[in-house]
Amino acid sequence: MQAFGYVLAKDVGHAVALLAEHGAKAKILAGGTDLLVELKHAVHNPEILIDISRLRELKAVVVADDGLHIGALATHADIMSSPIIRSMFPALVAAAHSIGAMQTRNLGTLGGNLVTCVPSVDSGPVLIALDASVTVAGAAGQRRMPLPDLFVGPRKTSLKPGDLLVDIVIPKENLGKPAAFEKFGLRKGQALALVNIGASFWADKDKFTAPRIALGAVAPTVIRAPKAEAFLDGRKISAEAMAEAGRIAATEAKPISDFRASADYRRDLIAVLVKRALASAQTRATAKEKELVA
Amino acid sequence: MTDVTMTVNGQTRSASVPPETTLLQLLRDNFNLTGAKLGCDVGDCGACTVIVDGQAVNSCLMLAGQADGRQVLTIEGLASKDKLHPIQKFFENTGALQCGFCGPGVLMSAKALLDENLNPSTQEIRDALSGNLCRCTGYTKMIEAVQEAARLLREETPAQITHARTEATAP
Repeated sequence: MQAFGYVLAKDVGHAVALLAEHGAKAKILAGGTDLLVELKHAVHNPEILIDISRLRELKAVVVADDGLHIGALATHADIMSSPIIRSMFPALVAAAHSIGAMQTRNLGTLGGNLVTCVPSVDSGPVLIALDASVTVAGAAGQRRMPLPDLFVGPRKTSLKPGDLLVDIVIPKENLGKPAAFEKFGLRKGQALALVNIGASFWADKDKFTAPRIALGAVAPTVIRAPKAEAFLDGRKISAEAMAEAGRIAATEAKPISDFRASADYRRDLIAVLVKRALASAQTRATAKEKELVA
Repeated sequence: MTDVTMTVNGQTRSASVPPETTLLQLLRDNFNLTGAKLGCDVGDCGACTVIVDGQAVNSCLMLAGQADGRQVLTIEGLASKDKLHPIQKFFENTGALQCGFCGPGVLMSAKALLDENLNPSTQEIRDALSGNLCRCTGYTKMIEAVQEAARLLREETPAQITHARTEATAP
């Protein structure tokens, strides 16, 4: 790695001040599992690294008035072991578990995973299916935006130099919403997704209510499948409807062909994985109903 | 330069290194602990796995400065003076290592797993070792060795704490 300066941020205010001072010459060091690889490959040549990895205030997972806040520095391992997330959103646990291997999950953070902004970002689809937004701190204060607005293109976010991702918020009306994650890679361990899917819906009187389908790795960024969602909205829950939603979603993606898979193969995967994700969310909805009855 | 002080295998160690120094470089070049290996240098192969504050990490993806003030355990700290750690003993007994290059990393991943869970299923062992690439021995004997080590450690440990995996709140 080429030489750079290094400064340890003491708190969020300090980190924001350091970012304002150094602007585009600085890179933020969180888990480092992507950044250090990029520095070794000289993708970036920062003059200084601002190390935020010890800011415990950015690791918290808490339910507040407006919803569930997951600190940007929560590691994938933290998400897998958080009692709140395990009980409310097993789909987020599954997504975190699918990232890298144990060593990566112990260092890599949710915020870092989102900010690296690869099309196959495994943290993305479930969060988008749960209408998550992100809080960004900058010199002008904090602002909130829907997660899809963070993603601009492959490895490109809407963050400006000086911006710091603070937390990820799932709105309170979606707390406990049945959701599921599906991923298909070429191996079980340490594989990039050929396709990853997030899906959620409320099962209201046996009808799909507020259905969400998010598709990863099949467009420049994670995308929703609005036609498939519209098809499901208000329709009676059935395996046939899930399969048809999968077929519709496959037409909404713009997958590429590369050495991992062809575009046609990825479209076929979308149809299968959307169906599976919806079925898995349905299983979760049924389990929750049983909990309520009991 | 970045000044770092950390506990490595129970001993306090200090160094002053350029900020871009990885923990792996610090361990190997400054502390002369060459058990952790430089394999891919990008976090894919796991040959550089060490345990920092109880968690297995790729030391090639951590800056030395990020380990300042922390507890680091490397393969050199696994055995006691007169006795191999059960994981080492059963890797030897089952012939779970041939060339051995991946070994220090594999054993530290296994250690991190067994520190949390003395009753791992085969799937949990496979999952814990999935970040450690072995290209000559393969994993069958490694999994067997971890199962045997877990069995011995369970026998040596009071029953009530054999499944010590906690679902701790994220800090």
